[in-house]
Amino acid sequence: MPKNISKRPKIAIYDFTDCEGCEVKLVSVKERLLHLANRFDIVNWRLGQEQIKDGPYAAAIIEGAPVTQDEIDLLRELRKKSKLIISLGACASIAGIPGIMNKSERTKWYKKIYGANYKPRGLDALPLSAYVKVDHAIHGCPVDEDELIRTLEELLSGKTPHYRGYSACLECKLAGNQCRLLNRQICFGPITQGGCKAVCVSGGSPCYGCFGIREEANIPTLVKILRKFASEKEINNHVTMFFNQIPEYKNAFKQALKNYTK
Amino acid sequence: MPKKQNLVMERSKEYIAKIEGHGSLAINWNKNSVKLNLLEGERLFEGILVGKTLEEMHWITPRICGVCPIAHNLASLASSEAALGIKISDQTKLLRRLMQIGQNVQSHVLHAVFLALPDYIGIDRITELNKKDPKKFALALTLKELGDEIAYVMAGRNVHPTRTTIGGFHNLPSKAELKNLLDGIKRSIPKARALIKIFQGLDYPELHVNLELLAQKSDEVISNKRRGFSIADYKKNIEEKVRDGSTAKFGAYQGEGYMVGSMARLWHQSFYKKDVSQFDINFTNPFHNNLAQAVETLFELEDGVKIIETLLREKLNSTTAKPAKNPPLRGIGAIEAPRGGLYHEVRVNKKGVITYANIITPTVQNLTSMETSATELLKQHSGASQKELKHLIEMLIRAYDPCITCSVH
Repeated sequence: MPKNISKRPKIAIYDFTDCEGCEVKLVSVKERLLHLANRFDIVNWRLGQEQIKDGPYAAAIIEGAPVTQDEIDLLRELRKKSKLIISLGACASIAGIPGIMNKSERTKWYKKIYGANYKPRGLDALPLSAYVKVDHAIHGCPVDEDELIRTLEELLSGKTPHYRGYSACLECKLAGNQCRLLNRQICFGPITQGGCKAVCVSGGSPCYGCFGIREEANIPTLVKILRKFASEKEINNHVTMFFNQIPEYKNAFKQALKNYTK
Repeated sequence: MPKKQNLVMERSKEYIAKIEGHGSLAINWNKNSVKLNLLEGERLFEGILVGKTLEEMHWITPRICGVCPIAHNLASLASSEAALGIKISDQTKLLRRLMQIGQNVQSHVLHAVFLALPDYIGIDRITELNKKDPKKFALALTLKELGDEIAYVMAGRNVHPTRTTIGGFHNLPSKAELKNLLDGIKRSIPKARALIKIFQGLDYPELHVNLELLAQKSDEVISNKRRGFSIADYKKNIEEKVRDGSTAKFGAYQGEGYMVGSMARLWHQSFYKKDVSQFDINFTNPFHNNLAQAVETLFELEDGVKIIETLLREKLNSTTAKPAKNPPLRGIGAIEAPRGGLYHEVRVNKKGVITYANIITPTVQNLTSMETSATELLKQHSGASQKELKHLIEMLIRAYDPCITCSVH
């Protein structure tokens, strides 16, 4: 335990609307959690503790998409109270699975699921960056433990965490997986940031790009390869799994599909 | 001038800590009644699924809940397979049951130790246990780690499975991995016994509630009070009421609230015929749900040993079962998730695109019972101060192990 407790950076951990799986990952950091708990002072974490301290915080680590007005207001307040805002996982970083639901469709589904008289709380499922400046995104659905530790340690030592400069393909090759693209299966690995250890493809599942699109990703070339065996509809469906609320990503695919010629 | 809002402090006072998701208590001291408000944002999963393909269902639904993703994965697979008329092999059933065991151990240890235990031993957060009693902390971590390990080997990851597919598995664990797992489980069984001892030794608040316990057993849902119902009729029997000020629905069985989860399963012997009398579980005290979770952790691991030993004797077959010629295109998948009975229902068109989905989670079913039990607690502890009562009710809600993220899916 460090002697000067007050010098430990004050951290707040928040969850908005999501599955809390990234927080489960945070808990499963196990013994490393203790080591971290000693270097940070987690002063606010509803899932883990009752005692809460108000800001200012050195960093607010936020999981989930702000779906309700209350969450949006709280997010804006946290931005004012925190030096850094770190998004934890796909929902916070890119809206992820909740983002599959389009705003224009919500009213219809409230009626179908809750009935005609229901007064909804939710407005729209968007990433944190739709409302405030995000200093760093820890990507993944869920996040990877090692990436989580790496990012937190870089933050602790005062560095700006960096993103992986390579695609998920590198880790996929290292894992010894067969290439899904060569097997004529849709895969976003080539445009996706590494760090995930290609855990989905190793398990036999598709890569939907939950680690976020890496810098200098070549979407037109990927689309060209995909169109050899997949329809436009199938590719668009794949895009909506995690990227539905990121116009920049969606437009890049739209443009590439439009420009595609055999 | 309006008072400056401080949402950080207001919400932290309002939301119940150490439960999954956002909920608050409204205690009416004059009427001696308790209301739960579920305030999680709606994600509308039943809408998200429509238009997606059947092969994506078990990919999407685990994201309902990061604590019980395997349960959602398995329920979706079962509903999809029913819709396609697929009969999975006995070996696939065993492999999936092992996934479920990993899920139950992960979730029970996370809940009983990390979220509920601090209440009983007077600490705020579980990391404080490391200073107070490092041996107990190490024991809990080992068991949590083991649950994660089973999930990694069987499902491909501890949160959100990657290895499963309709009809079976994309990838099977190797025999060496299974053997390793077996050794790990065998080593941990004494630790699971020690966990039960810890939970047997706790000072549980006194509470007597005439609990109705419902659990799945083969194709039925059975009750300790009334006639049960067939899983095929789940929708007719489990009513979901929409309430103002709550984004979760409140479940009832023909008008009455009931409890699902570890206590109900042990009572009805859902998974195994084992005598629980030696553990002194009081089936009318909801706080004993935490003890029941510790007992189930041991039983699940013991069952895991048997399953792995069977699997090691067999040849592992990685072929997946194929759809029937004229499948019904609609199916129900039911499973006992860590917190109780979980129901997924799906309909697809001939192209395999989902046209309808319905999901009923365990916490939705427990919510009504939570309120009744809390109201009983107010009556039975009428001598306590309002502050003490509020704390006891928060403890009670935690003991029920609600997953609000699941209930508002």
